[in-house]
Formats: sequence, structure tokens, C-alpha cells
Amino acid sequence: MTVSQGKENKLNSIIRASRIISRMNQASPEARKSNTLYYQMIADYYTRLLEASKEGKFIAAHTVFFPTEILYAMDIVPMHTETTTWMIALFTGHSADMLSAGVELGLASEICTPHRGLAGAFALGVLPRPSVMLWSNLVCDNTAKSGELLMEINHCPGFFIDHPFQRSEDEEKYLVGELRDMIHFLEEQSGRKMDWDRLADIVARMDRQIELFREINELRKAIPTPFNPQGFLQLLTIDYLFPGRPEATKYLETLRDELVERVKAGQGAVSPERFRLMSLFIPPMYLIGFLEKISQEYGAVSVTEPFFTYWGEGALDPAKPLESVVKKSYMLPEMRMYGPLDERALNGIVNCAEQYRVDGAVYYADVGCRHTCATIKLFKDVLDRIDVPVLTLDCDVVDPTITSEEDVRDKLEQFFELLEDRQ
Amino acid sequence: MFGWLCTYIPEEILHAAGALPIRITGYSKETELEDGNAYLYINTCSFSRSCLQLGLKGEYDFLDGVVGGSTCDGARRLFDLWRNYIDTPFYHVLTVPRKYTQPAHDLYHSQVKQFKTHLEEFLGIQITDESLYRSIVVYNESRNLLKRLYELRKFDTPPISGTETMEVLNTCFRMPKELFNEWLRSLLDELSIRENSHKSRARLMVVGSVMTNPEFIESIEELGGLVVTDELCTSTRYWSDPVVLDRNITPLEAISQRYLNNFPCARMFPSDERFNRILDLARDFRVDGVISQIVRYCVPYAHDLPLLTERLKGQGIPTLALDVEYGTSGSGQIRTRVQAFLEMLEAKRN
Amino acid sequence: MKALGIDVGSLTTKAVILGNDGILASCIVHSDDEVESSAKTAMEEVLNLAGVSLNNDLYSVSTGVGGKSVSFSYKKKTITTCLARGISYLVPSARTTIDMGAESSTVIRVNERGHIIDWVNHDKCAAGTGVFLQQMAKLMQISTEEMSKLSLQAKSKADISGTCAVFAESEVISHVHRDPPTPKEEIIAGIHFSVVSRIISLCKRIGIERDVAVVGGVALNRGLVKIIEEEMGFGILVPDRPQIVAALGAAVIARENIEKGAK
Repeated sequence: MTVSQGKENKLNSIIRASRIISRMNQASPEARKSNTLYYQMIADYYTRLLEASKEGKFIAAHTVFFPTEILYAMDIVPMHTETTTWMIALFTGHSADMLSAGVELGLASEICTPHRGLAGAFALGVLPRPSVMLWSNLVCDNTAKSGELLMEINHCPGFFIDHPFQRSEDEEKYLVGELRDMIHFLEEQSGRKMDWDRLADIVARMDRQIELFREINELRKAIPTPFNPQGFLQLLTIDYLFPGRPEATKYLETLRDELVERVKAGQGAVSPERFRLMSLFIPPMYLIGFLEKISQEYGAVSVTEPFFTYWGEGALDPAKPLESVVKKSYMLPEMRMYGPLDERALNGIVNCAEQYRVDGAVYYADVGCRHTCATIKLFKDVLDRIDVPVLTLDCDVVDPTITSEEDVRDKLEQFFELLEDRQ
Repeated sequence: MFGWLCTYIPEEILHAAGALPIRITGYSKETELEDGNAYLYINTCSFSRSCLQLGLKGEYDFLDGVVGGSTCDGARRLFDLWRNYIDTPFYHVLTVPRKYTQPAHDLYHSQVKQFKTHLEEFLGIQITDESLYRSIVVYNESRNLLKRLYELRKFDTPPISGTETMEVLNTCFRMPKELFNEWLRSLLDELSIRENSHKSRARLMVVGSVMTNPEFIESIEELGGLVVTDELCTSTRYWSDPVVLDRNITPLEAISQRYLNNFPCARMFPSDERFNRILDLARDFRVDGVISQIVRYCVPYAHDLPLLTERLKGQGIPTLALDVEYGTSGSGQIRTRVQAFLEMLEAKRN
Repeated sequence: MKALGIDVGSLTTKAVILGNDGILASCIVHSDDEVESSAKTAMEEVLNLAGVSLNNDLYSVSTGVGGKSVSFSYKKKTITTCLARGISYLVPSARTTIDMGAESSTVIRVNERGHIIDWVNHDKCAAGTGVFLQQMAKLMQISTEEMSKLSLQAKSKADISGTCAVFAESEVISHVHRDPPTPKEEIIAGIHFSVVSRIISLCKRIGIERDVAVVGGVALNRGLVKIIEEEMGFGILVPDRPQIVAALGAAVIARENIEKGAK
């Protein structure tokens, strides 16, 4: 496969930008400490990755909703492919060359932009070459099928985790078996051994982290909500990149304490708080800043994201580390929309809307993310049961040519007018 | 009557339960999908939308039950919406693993067992091993007969065209297997005395996701390209492997082994399993060129295409990649491209 | 105080002046490059038609693509809100309104007070919009008026792909060049049918409640409207001047604000 050559160290731009933001935050008296910690963590993650790449250390690239905790337990440097692709989109504002490289590889438009982009990024050498490629079928066919091509592009071996669709004893057992097989594979490839004690510690920490996520969720129920409008992306990234890490616990505790203070003081993320929104799926990365601005302008704030921050029930047992990793994978907020979408799953969304007293919901319909668009009508009807209007925003999480800022502003404005009329 | 969606649903179980399995294939023609688009959204695969359209319009109301699997995103969402918007009395979804390992087989077997139990509860019957054996025999007969049919296409001038074969397959999905077997047997007798008549400019194989419209094949064959074999959800992937009976395993195990190991769908891992089988087919049927028809917006097959094209190229077989709506009959644009492909194949031969 | 509504669109600018007893006047002018001058031209024209002098106290609300840039309007409202108010004024029984504009289609559900319950746009692709129809008309070398007339004459319709404007175009071409060629009116009926299919899909996303009204430039295409009626199975209401509905809605909001004592 021939692709055009383009050398640009986009990882450096993430690191630089994160460090700058972190420092700026530290310097500003009003800024949240958790923000400083967050950007420092991002800078550290990518610095470690860049160094590992330069030193030729073992790097495991992996897809989203992957049990990264296994990698940390084996002291293997992880590279979260999707997050890295959209961070590049976020910090550099243009991912066009990665997308077009993806097209050059022969990837059809069926394949969503994050995946096209990351295949293109690997082909261009913009991302460090991994030692192994790890992927699973969460949450869609795109992810399930991406691995083999990435193995070929990177000339590296890989392992595919087959995550069962439903949840039963047999299915959980199967997944435990998959994880064991992957650990064997990684041990062979990296020469490192799984440190089961360390994994137990990580599981214990993850259990604590999930508790903290839940506490933060509870605090967000306050009126006015204390957490900043698009802040949920930080919560997302914490679980994607740092599950079971001590710095994640520190971040979550710091954030929780900040929110407790704000709730005590009655301080809202936006003032006045006019519209409480539920976010369904992810807003376009390149619009995050813009959406924050609009949120402040209209007093609209996302108070809950059922598929990204609303964890399932249960606790993890460090004495059974692999079973706990499996359990956690089923507790992930994203599993709510993976399926099957039965009454229980749908009621979960309704409960979420009620508990957070949302005025309306915004559905980010990523044009390339087919299986999430397939539920637009279903979720709309479900929320209609409790009279919560839903705005559907056609967009693309990475490609800025699909929807302009103006377009989004118009639609949001219209939606806020509709909500206003109802109040 | 029970509707089933894809090749990973063990039809024999339904048959053994005394039900008539009917394959859900949506509209075989390209059609307006207003409800399908509104409910599944325009960017979901057109096959799922077509199936849902029929379902929402009440055309599947005659079904007592519907069975699906977690096979791909389109199917998964189709069943999510079906469960919520269409009132079919019996509803079951199987988890289908994507691997061929022993644990994967164990998991699939337990899923098939669960399905069987659920069906027994619903119908208030017991599905005995004997009835399973009987169903296996009937279905293996169908597979064998279809294999014989395909063997006829290996000839230089086969007695049956690709279009006619598609029509035979469509019949297969809608009839009780016993009747189908009878009918196909007599067809085979007829064909043995029919003159080998179909000449061609090139021997072609059609690969891809799901297709049921014979007109599509017809539009290729009208231009002189003879479709001698195919690899589709609704053709070889459906009937290719028989259930292998073994004294040491139960009939249920035999069934579940067969269905997971069957000619792979693009969803399975590793993809090489599918590619190798396609290359075998191409070699056995002496295929000159491959036409890949991928339904808009089918993700697994789209992902496979670059690697598959390379593998075929390695065997000296060019591929024409077509991107179609499910149910298409082959419009102007498609014909033009097929024409160009055939000319290229002819030039290659000379 | 007089209530003035201005809708600045990409092709035309509409203005409506509303009195206590009804619409005093309305006008449609061509939009030029400058939003401000288009708005001014429309305002002057409509005041002239109404016999109202420029010195009168005017409360104006602007909307449309250029609505935000009109300097002299007191309030800017989104086009969907204005459409909703406008259609409720003209057709009080309307609960579902389809706006078939040049570049996008919108379906709006309103309650009895003209307030929006839900709405949905389709603006990501051409199929189902005025621009698409114009292109098809050009392809067939007829005017859009003739398109409407011919469509009403068709006894049956040709199959034209509903999904994508690009494919539809090549299919139309092949119909025209077929031997024998498909009758013009059948091709047009096919084109209209595929547009209607898009629209109905859009409607189904938010549900269809009677009465259904159609507005926007494309609403003047009687052939198309007839096909919508056939598909929906009941009559569709088209106001007399469907292009001015948004401007009228803006004027209605203006009047509401006057009554509220707002400035």
C-alpha cells in the first residue's frame, strides 16, 4: 500500500498544548486544580509514549473501551488509538491529512472518520509504531475490523478480544478466557510477566475510582450543577487513559472536593443556569471550545451523559482480578447503548433524565457512527415518554467539513428557544 | 412460522421444533424506505433498513417469532428496534462469537442450547435428539443438492446461469425444506439433460454481503459475463458446509459446531479464513474476475475489501468493487462499470 | 406601532407588515450581495405597498440566512420559530408543517399556539430540496413550472433512486436516452416521488399530526404537493403565498412583542 509521506509530530503538539494549558491553569487564581492535574496527566501520558517510541520500548496500541488496566499491570506502555486521534483533532484543529491518507489506503467511506483517521495516522508515521496492536469488538464493527489492517500497516502482531454481546455466566467466562489468552500473548511478545498483585491493586483502585465517578455524578444533580459544561470529556478521558492509576484517583478526589465546595456555595457552572441538558453521544471535538462558549452564553449545561459518565451498578473484587476486569467492562457507561436495548436499558436513560431534572437532550448524531444514529428515533421516543425534547445535531466527531459552527449555533439557538417557550 | 436473519442462526432447531423457518430478507428490490430511514436512520446499512421497513409496514406480522444474532451492527440495531416497535410474540437474540477457538465454540453451543430451551418453553414442546437428527438429515440433503447444482456451473458452458441459481436460492429460503429438496431434485434431473448452453465473455464470481435480487445478476449476465459462482450471505455462505454427525457428540453440538465453522462472514476473525475459502472457490470454478457488491453501508465487508482485493490480485484475479443499495437490480452506472470490467478481462485473456 | 417581519434568504428577501386586522402588505424581492441593503429594499417596498410612510414607528423582527445582520431589527429570531408562528397565523389548524426550501428541508410540529413541539432538518445533502429540483429541471431542459404541470399529467412514474442526488441524476439521464425514451412526465413524476420519499422519511422522524401544511418556494409545485397528498392519504394545506410564511411569522412575533410592551 502506498501512501503519501508526511512527517509531522502531532504528539508533540498534544504535549506542548497540554503543558501550556496546565501551566496557565496553575497560574490563574480562579482555575480548578483538577484542570491543572488533568492536563498534566495528558502531557505525562504522551511524553511517556513519545519517550518509549524514541527508546524502542514495547508499546501496545489499543482501541477504545479496552482493559488498559491489564497493560498497566504488566508495565507496558499503552497507546489509546481513538483518543489520540481525536486529541490531535482537538489540539491541532486539522486532521485532514490523516483522513486523506486513510482514503488512500483504500478505506471506504463506510469506515468512520476516527478509524479512517487513525489508519491514515499510522500510515503517515504520525503515531509511533506500536509493538503490538490490540483491539476488541467494542463498540462496533469498525473497531472489530480495524485491527488486521493496522497490523499490516505497522507490520506488527496483534490480538483481538472478542467481547460477548450479552451478559451471562457463560459469556463472562468466555471473556475471562479471552483476557487470559491476551495476557499470554503479551507475555510472549513483550518478555514481561503479568504481575497479579499489581493487577489486584489496580482493581482496588478502579473500584475506588468508580465510586468517585458515582459521587461526582451525584454532585452534578445539584441545581445549579457545579461541573462545567463540556467537562464530561475529562471524565471520559480519565477512564480511557488512566484506569486504576494513582493519578486518576488523585484527579477524581480533587474534582470531587471542588464540586462539593461549589455545591455548598451554590455555585453553578453557568450563571444563570437556564437549561439543563442531557448529552447523548459525543460532540464534535473541534467544536468543544465553541460549545463551552455557547453554554455560557445561553446558560445551558450538560448535566448528564448516560453513555459516558453514568456507570452501571456493582463493585470490583481485587481478590478476583480478571473477573473484576470483565465485570468492569460490563459496567462501563458505554455498554448502555451497545445493547441489547431492552426495557431495562431504555429505562436507564429515562431514570437518568428524571434524576438530573433535564430540560432537554442533545443527540450528537455522528454521520459516520452508524450504530449510534440507528437509535435516534428510539431514544427520542423513549424520552418523549417523560416529555423531554431531543435535538438531533448531524455532525462528525473529527471532520470539521460536515457541520459548521454557525450551523450548530443556529440549531442550538432554535432548541433553546423551544425550551424557553416551554418554561 | 419463525423469521431468522443470518447464517449464524441454526435453522435446524426451528425445523426440529416443527416450525417453518423463513429467512428475513426485506424487499428483494430497491424500494423507498421511509420508515426504515426514519427509524434506523439513513446511514445504517440498506439491508437492515429494508428489513425494518417491511416489518414496520406489517408485512412480517404473520411471523410467530423472530430470531437474530449479534452478528453485525446492522443486524444488532435492527433487532433492537424490532424488539421495541414490532410485536412479534417470540423474540430471541443469540450472542455469536467472532472466533473459532474451543471456548468460542463452547460459548456458541451454550447460546444455541439457550435458544432451544426458550423455543421449547414458548411452544410447550420438547425438541428431542431424534427430531434434531431428522432435521439435520433434511438440511444436509438441501446443502448436498445445492452443492450438486453449483458443480454444474463448473463446466465451460454450464446448463444454469447465475441468475437462475439466485432464483433457486430465493426459493430455498421460503419453502419447507422437504418440498424444496423434492423440487431441486427434479430440477437437477432436468438440468442433467439440458444442453450446456451458457457461453460467456468471462467467468465471474460475485462476492459481498447480502443479496437476493436475481435482476442484479441478470444485468451482469446480459452483458455476457457469466456468474459461475458466488460468495454471499444468501448463497454459498448459507449452504456450504454440512452438519457433520459424530457418535461422540450430541446432535446439538454437531449443529452448533457447523454453524460457527461455516463459510465465514466478514465479521469473523481472522479474516484469512474467509479469504482462503474465496480463493479456493475462485480456483475451483476457474474464475476470471470477481465482482464485489457491497451493500451501502456495510462495514465488515467494506473493511475486508482492500485486503481481499490484494489476495485475489496475487492469484491474478482482478476485482470490480461495486457499492450498491440493497435490492438493486443493476442501474445504468453499474452496467457501464461491469461492461468496462468485462472488456478489461477479455483484453487480458488475449 | 406597526409590526414588520423580514426574512433574508439566499435567493430572495421577504417582508410582511402586519396590522391589527391582518396582513397590510407583503413583498418578495431578489436578495443582493449585501444583507442590509436587501432588507432595506424589502422594507421600503412593503411599506410602499401598505401605504405606510417610512417615518412610522416600526417594530421589526428579522430572520432567515441573513437575519442576524439586519441592523435595524429589534429582535432576531430563528427561521424555524418564525415559520411556526407564521403558519399558525395563516392556517390555525396546521400541526405539522413542511418547509421545502432551496437548500434544506425542515419539518416542524407546532401546538395550537404556534409554539414548536419538535422539528427536524435535512440539510446534509441535496436530495429533497429546491436546488435538486432545479438541477433536474435543467437536466430535462424545462422550467420548474413546467415540471409541476407535467407531473400532474403522468399516468405512472419512472423508478428513480431515492437515496442520492448524484445517482438520481445519472438515472434521469439514462431514462432520457433510453430507446424508446421514457416519457418526460413519468421521469418527472419519478423525481418528485423520490423527493417526497425523503420528505416523508423526515416527517416520520418526529411524527405526523394533521393538519399538514407545506410552505416554502417548492410548495408552489402542485405536482409535488399532489404526490405528498397521495402518499399521506389526506389533503395537504398550502397557503396562498407560501414563500412569505417566515416573514409573516417574524411579524407576528413583532406584534406579540409590541403588545407585551417590549422594546
